[in-house]
Amino acid sequence: MVQETGKFGIVVSQYFRNYYRSRSFYLMLVISLLISGLMTYFSLKYVGNLHITFGGVSFNSLSSSLKERAVLYLWAFVLSYLPVFSAVFFGSPAISSEIENKTAYHIFPLPIRRSTLLFGKLTAAVAVSYIIVSVYTIFELISYLILFGSFPSIVFLYSYLLLLLFIISITAFTFLVSSIFNKNMYAYITVFLLYYLIFNALYIILDFLYNYNAFFLLSESASIIERVFIDINTTVPGSTSISLNGAGNGPIGIAAMVMVIYAVISIAGALILFDRKEVK
Amino acid sequence: MASVDVKGVSKNYGNITALKNVSLSMNTNGCIGILGPNGAGKTTLMKLITNIIKPSTGEILVNGTDVSNNPSAALRTVGSIIEQPEFYTYLTAYETMMFVCRIKGGTKEYCKSEIERVSEITEVNGFLNRKTGTYSRGMKQRLALAVALINNPDVIVLDEPTFGLDPKGMSDIRNALNRIRELRNSIIILSTHLISEVKELCDRVIIMDEGSIVYDSDTDSVEKSLRVRFYEAPADGLNSIANDPFMEDGGKTAIFRVRKEVPNYLIIQDLMNRGAKIRDVEESSGIEEKYLAIVGRRKD
Repeated sequence: MVQETGKFGIVVSQYFRNYYRSRSFYLMLVISLLISGLMTYFSLKYVGNLHITFGGVSFNSLSSSLKERAVLYLWAFVLSYLPVFSAVFFGSPAISSEIENKTAYHIFPLPIRRSTLLFGKLTAAVAVSYIIVSVYTIFELISYLILFGSFPSIVFLYSYLLLLLFIISITAFTFLVSSIFNKNMYAYITVFLLYYLIFNALYIILDFLYNYNAFFLLSESASIIERVFIDINTTVPGSTSISLNGAGNGPIGIAAMVMVIYAVISIAGALILFDRKEVK
Repeated sequence: MASVDVKGVSKNYGNITALKNVSLSMNTNGCIGILGPNGAGKTTLMKLITNIIKPSTGEILVNGTDVSNNPSAALRTVGSIIEQPEFYTYLTAYETMMFVCRIKGGTKEYCKSEIERVSEITEVNGFLNRKTGTYSRGMKQRLALAVALINNPDVIVLDEPTFGLDPKGMSDIRNALNRIRELRNSIIILSTHLISEVKELCDRVIIMDEGSIVYDSDTDSVEKSLRVRFYEAPADGLNSIANDPFMEDGGKTAIFRVRKEVPNYLIIQDLMNRGAKIRDVEESSGIEEKYLAIVGRRKD
């Protein structure tokens, strides 16, 4: 008899197949390729003539090591938006669609724990999101190799792993929202509102009124993906928190912790709600 | 031998009670037809048996295992079609069936042969490798039946499996169900609006109304009704044929309730021997009479 762990693998492969054949996947892939193409084009054509400044220092005056980190910073800055869109496409309808599309009638009567179904689907959603961001990362690596003649330092790997953590937490977060609703549209709208409106509003209010850095917000902790290269806080326009060094272990640890907490709480909440989900 | 035991189950949706303290035991292989008007609680009962919803009170045991507490064990030998199921649109029928078969514990090799077997019964073998998102309603319903039959389940729960199908689709599904029923190696619980389906397929009939079971009997023990219209009724009356014929139309129509196995010609012959001039004879199932009596009573 297949044990629950074996069933988990079967569920992951089933949902992974369904995800990567979906229109959402190809749309995200096209978006990823477009952005990657644009970034590659601008990196190769303009990186020697950038007029942007990093903490008052123009790009051309940066040391070669700082220049390398600045390029990686710019790539990672753009990259951190991709998982959010990916999670919205794959995570927001994850649970609600089972009810709205009536696939719940197909999967709920199966001899499998709902937690296994949820973990399997979450793993598949994270995997397809990671494929999409990895396409971008491949372009990034190739561009870097052409520009600087070598592979980036170990910091690049930290950023890539933090990206995985962010994908897990944002996808888990969208699963939680999705498990609250029975309609996909409500889940989509709620995720967008929460992430782009509520989180940003909270950040601005706390920063401007109380001069308090809302490190506990998922959107803020996600910025660690680029801040490992250069610690510039760009979440709020006009923010004064600038350092030309990469973020140290402290900020990385805090951001990682925040993402883990979001993931754990979201998964726990989604599990409770999904387990009680009924199709009336 | 498989068994399904529903023990004192109620289901509430807010203030609405969809099922009221229902108890039911099903432990003989064959088909059990569940009839009832809309809102009678049929689908609620089907959903409870298959763990789509959980009971407010009571318990449901499949082969002695509680469905709510241990679905992994209880549902391993249950196949079902509830309402009009949809499948993951980017997967093929083959992949869908393979998934269900593997979740139910089958090895890849076993599942391949199972898919072949159920595809033949339900005639889905022509479109096994097409994505289910391209299927018509009828094809989806046939696939749903194939999925329900995979791994030879002990219990097959079918909630209006022919609903929304054209006559050809209905006939295909019924033929497939007949083939399964004849094998007699599972309990088929069939919820339907169609009395004819129960008559054709089932050995036991349960009638539900307003969340309760109001009638439960073997279909064989349900008497049939014979409606005889006369030009001229027998002069010596009708009591010799049936103890209590029901008269209509000023004595020109008689309704006899007789056992299913009594041939109609014997009754007609007897009436004619006694001088009756018969205009026409119409047979209707006793299930229909029972059902209409219950639903009619509620409407009154």
